[in-house]
Amino acid sequence: MALALPRRHARTAGAKTGTDLHRRRETRFAWLLILPTILGVGLFTAVPIVGSFVLSLFNYSIISPTKWVGLANYSALLHDSNAQHAFVVTIILTVGIAIAQVVVGLALAVAVQRRTGWARSLYRAAFFVPLLVSGASVSIVMSYIFDSQFGVLNYYLGLIGLPQVSWLDSTWGAIFTVMIVVTWQQLGFTFIVFSAALGAVPRELTEAARVDGAGGWRVFRKITLPMISPSILFTVTVGVINQLQLFDQPYVLTHGGPGNATQTVVLDIYEQAFQNLRFGYASAISVILFIVVLVATFLQFRISRRWVFYS
Amino acid sequence: MRTTRSAGHERLISRRCFLVGASAAAGLASLGLAGCATDRSPDSLVVAVNGTQAAAAAIKQAVGIPFLAKHPKVQLSIMAINGTDWDDYFAKVLTLIAGGLAPDLTTVATEGLQLFASKGIAEPLNDYVMRDKASLQGYFADVHPVLVESMMYQGDLYVLPTDFNCGNMFFDTVLLDKAGASYPADNWTKDDFYNLADKWATTQSAVAWDWVVRLWGSWTSWMYANNANLLTEGRWPGGSWMWDTFYPNDPAAQGRKGGWHWGAPTANDPAVVDALQYMVDLKNARLSASPDVGGGGTLQGLFASNHIAMTIGGGFWAGGLHAAGMTPDQYDVQYFPAWSVQKHLLGDAGYAMLKTSPVKEIAWEFMKSLTEPDALGALIAGNTSTPTRRSMMTASRYAPTGPAHWPVFYGTLDKFPNTTPIPAPPYYQELATAFAARTTQAMAAGSAKPALDGLQGDLESFVSAAAT
Repeated sequence: MALALPRRHARTAGAKTGTDLHRRRETRFAWLLILPTILGVGLFTAVPIVGSFVLSLFNYSIISPTKWVGLANYSALLHDSNAQHAFVVTIILTVGIAIAQVVVGLALAVAVQRRTGWARSLYRAAFFVPLLVSGASVSIVMSYIFDSQFGVLNYYLGLIGLPQVSWLDSTWGAIFTVMIVVTWQQLGFTFIVFSAALGAVPRELTEAARVDGAGGWRVFRKITLPMISPSILFTVTVGVINQLQLFDQPYVLTHGGPGNATQTVVLDIYEQAFQNLRFGYASAISVILFIVVLVATFLQFRISRRWVFYS
Repeated sequence: MRTTRSAGHERLISRRCFLVGASAAAGLASLGLAGCATDRSPDSLVVAVNGTQAAAAAIKQAVGIPFLAKHPKVQLSIMAINGTDWDDYFAKVLTLIAGGLAPDLTTVATEGLQLFASKGIAEPLNDYVMRDKASLQGYFADVHPVLVESMMYQGDLYVLPTDFNCGNMFFDTVLLDKAGASYPADNWTKDDFYNLADKWATTQSAVAWDWVVRLWGSWTSWMYANNANLLTEGRWPGGSWMWDTFYPNDPAAQGRKGGWHWGAPTANDPAVVDALQYMVDLKNARLSASPDVGGGGTLQGLFASNHIAMTIGGGFWAGGLHAAGMTPDQYDVQYFPAWSVQKHLLGDAGYAMLKTSPVKEIAWEFMKSLTEPDALGALIAGNTSTPTRRSMMTASRYAPTGPAHWPVFYGTLDKFPNTTPIPAPPYYQELATAFAARTTQAMAAGSAKPALDGLQGDLESFVSAAAT
């Protein structure tokens, strides 16, 4: 790429040389180049964030006059047990899914790492493909599999003499099923990241450890895990941000039920905004969710200093 | 594009070329955005339809072309909006309105009538109807007054109803025969229902009974049969202009007023609790499946594939089951059984004119054309709903689809004067959400009372919020 941001140079006092003018022109041109990105991020990220906050200070229902309510929406949120429950449900799902994705993704990546040739490519493709399918489509199919009365899974459980499970119509069954579906669908992401990270672990380190008498588990724990810890931090961070915004799977699988057992925060925001037409209140929940995501990400990076190893 | 090579042999784009290219791209993008801008012509008529693009095309073909022949200057656009259920459809229409893309006419069902009317979105039709009463006499003479009253709010009419559905009971007759059971009498009771379900359960692999979590066609039918409701039933005053003009000597119009008034919540009334608890008990007795939340598509599929013996359905089930491959002799319909009373719930639909429409006269003409028998026939081709016009309820209409006892559909209105619309107050959207959550809560917990206590609290807060 020939066009690049010029370095700043100390300017010779009072002198506007040809080189100096050229650099200023270069700087202006560089700003021109990054202007579309600045506008894009500003228009589609910063403005909606600020807009959400502003909207959260109003009572806005599309079809009624907009009314300034100050912090009343936030005050209502403090007394809304359903919204608070949605935050608890979201945190439970986020933690469960994040742990499952890291553990299962890493286990699969290690297992596939030992394969060679076409088998490795086949497994990589097989684990990655669900990530390319929309969450809603996956959930529709899964709802037929996990249906308590007519589902495929309970049918086969019955064939081998096991009791029927209330996958989607009991509180913990529904939470567990949503976790399974989301983990299964998004596993390809952690799997691919861990596969790449495992491939980058220097073989001389693991071989040296083995020469020193370390067993497989010890090599994995003392060499491999620290070496891939930046990837673990990356997948956990991205996973937590994604799961805190979980919507498709609970919406299609359970509609947030039974009761509000799988009512996530974003599902609650959707219902408040687009079904109950309480856009101001939904925006207040969005702002709080934004802060939660921000704090969770900050905490992860702070805690990561203790366990992430950058070679 | 002109390029140069640097000393390092990298291919470079000249600054001028880059700026020219970027400007051209920006220009094209601006043109594209300008093309997306809405620019209504003064004669354009936009009709929003709850359905697929294919349904919209069919309406345009069947209703639009004859209409345009009479009104050649009009530019008609039928906009298909797909909703998983009515609340989803209304949310999308309201978003269009908020975005400045309000249609002139939109499909509105009982579920959203009071929402659209109370918020001043829909235009009252009283003046239009009275102005054209001569041409509308035939329509109203053909339509049962309960269907008209359910489209009134505070004495004003907002919709000329085109189709309706009452909550009746559908049977899989193949399973009925296998169980050695016979078609029930029209005055059958809850006990008869239970005995039939029990007989099925002991002889069949199919589930005896299933339903879906939504306001229409849910455990609410049992609630009506138990003479109870989620909200206190009442009537708005007014409406005499309609009844005196079009139904002066119709006994079915006696006592009708200005539309249903949904009052204080009664969701945890003992009779309501009994109705939902009955669903829990049926499930515990393995006579019922766990219900799904949604519009009922899955339920129709299960019924059509002989997995369910009985379920609540309306006239639209005839078309749905036929499309799913059931032949007319494989299923049948009967009135809903009596509990403390024999009472049915009702939902109807039609088109409302939006207050913001700049072409109200054209919209009114199109709305009237939608009530013509030919247009109605096209709107609900294949019995995808029940026509509000009694004259269209014929044996030939139901011969291809069934069911054998199709007169039950309109007969429900005639035989049971207590037939009542579903409780859809102005805060229907919130009610529908809370209703679904509390119903699934009760089914999961195995107890109706705590869930309905919760629903009562939800409804009271909605009423309180609506009042402020």
